[in-house]
Amino acid sequence: MSVSADSEPVSCTVKPPVFLQLGDAKTDTVKSGVCIVDVTLPFGKSVNIEEISFKNFYTAYVTVRLLRKVPGQEAAAKWTTALRDLALMENPHTEGGSQDYSSIHRAQMQVVPDHVMSVRFILRQPSSAWMNFNLQEIKIFQKEVSDLLSDLTLVDFRPDLEGLPDPSTVSSSIQQMWALTEVMQTNQTTASIGRFDVDGCYDVNLLSVP
Amino acid sequence: MADNKEKRRSAVIPPAMADSKTAKCDSDREFLAQAGVGELLRGAILKMVEARTDDPIGFLADHFCNLASVSDAGTGGSEGDEMNNGTLGGRAHEQQRLNRALWHLRLAHHSHRSAFSNNVRVAYDLLNDSMGPSGSDGDGGGVRGGLYTQTLQCLCSEGGVPASTSAPLLHRLHCQDHEAVPYDVFRHGVLTCAVFSDYIRQAQRLYAEVCCPDEEPVSRALGMAVIGTLKEALETSQGSEARRTLRYLEASAKLSPDQLAQAMATAQTRGPGGSMDAKEFENAAAEVFITRVKVLS
Repeated sequence: MSVSADSEPVSCTVKPPVFLQLGDAKTDTVKSGVCIVDVTLPFGKSVNIEEISFKNFYTAYVTVRLLRKVPGQEAAAKWTTALRDLALMENPHTEGGSQDYSSIHRAQMQVVPDHVMSVRFILRQPSSAWMNFNLQEIKIFQKEVSDLLSDLTLVDFRPDLEGLPDPSTVSSSIQQMWALTEVMQTNQTTASIGRFDVDGCYDVNLLSVP
Repeated sequence: MADNKEKRRSAVIPPAMADSKTAKCDSDREFLAQAGVGELLRGAILKMVEARTDDPIGFLADHFCNLASVSDAGTGGSEGDEMNNGTLGGRAHEQQRLNRALWHLRLAHHSHRSAFSNNVRVAYDLLNDSMGPSGSDGDGGGVRGGLYTQTLQCLCSEGGVPASTSAPLLHRLHCQDHEAVPYDVFRHGVLTCAVFSDYIRQAQRLYAEVCCPDEEPVSRALGMAVIGTLKEALETSQGSEARRTLRYLEASAKLSPDQLAQAMATAQTRGPGGSMDAKEFENAAAEVFITRVKVLS
């Protein structure tokens, strides 16, 4: 489930948290218990998210929203909610889970987190027991086979198959041939019979005169 | 080892039969035990289970034929050894060994891994001490190169591969008669030929599928496109071992019906003209496989 140790997080900018304030921002220090953290990717870039990981700091619930662009239409990016109110603490008033590391996997999200330009975390802490709350060490990991899968899903080319053989039977035959070739290749032996000549010819260097 | 056991059995059976006749055997059970029928049948059933055959009767018939030829060879061979000490008897003996080895190799399809490996081992051991009669080499040195090459040739031709198609493959795997072939090399050669036979049969089916709609010879463009797709998929699957799963995924994407439809459609509109007959297609497909077989050194 977790991302393998060797994969690197995507380089992105985690903006400082913005707390929702009640009343006058300067004089009134009562906190609403809602905080927003935005994570943006470098301009013009998008990412197919595999996993998001972070360390909690007294956040009770997190909602994740994604700004996704529609492939082919740069302008039409849309915000969608990928995950609503995931509980990070067992009880908002007690310590349990308050400083745990968590990760949100692709499969947990309600929308497919592909072509994401920006991620917004909405943090909630209903308990007044804590002065502050936040998420730390936010890291986004990219799906490695992204290109491949987008190739797979984006085939909208419907060729004219008039007079052509059925592609699925041809495909299954070729897949068999591919598999057979793979079987042969994976069973290649390193053993040799200790021959010095190649195709009946000796390497000149081996023919030394004592 | 198996051979020794069978030999012993063939030597034991006639006296046992003779005994049973004279003693007027008390019970049926005793008769069966004396004649070794139980062991015989158990052996046959074990072999059949291992081979998972579709045709039990045919399999058993072959099995018993083979046993019969073994017991013939057992008695005949030993006389031959004493009488003409090698050459002619030795040649016939060798041919018999080869037939028996091939029979073992035919028992299980290569996809039944453990059964196939067992049979390869048995065949190897059989061929390995086939230097027997003259006794000059003894066993342990490895199968003689000539026998090994002959085994591969037989496997290919039995697998329905035309000699002209298998020749380039055999050239890569071929051993000189004086060379001693170690087990790993033997196993690799046998497996490669078995897989190659399947591959060629599949290629022949593929040709039939490609020309299916209008029963005409396949256009060159189409044939090349289909084989090109296979080649491309195989090329992606080279590279580092660690990413094998990813490579497989990528290759399967390249061989998806959608991709093929696209390749075929493009080939039809712009590609080389002319047509491709079945033999040419087969050769082109065989080449894709054969270039990936390591040359034996």
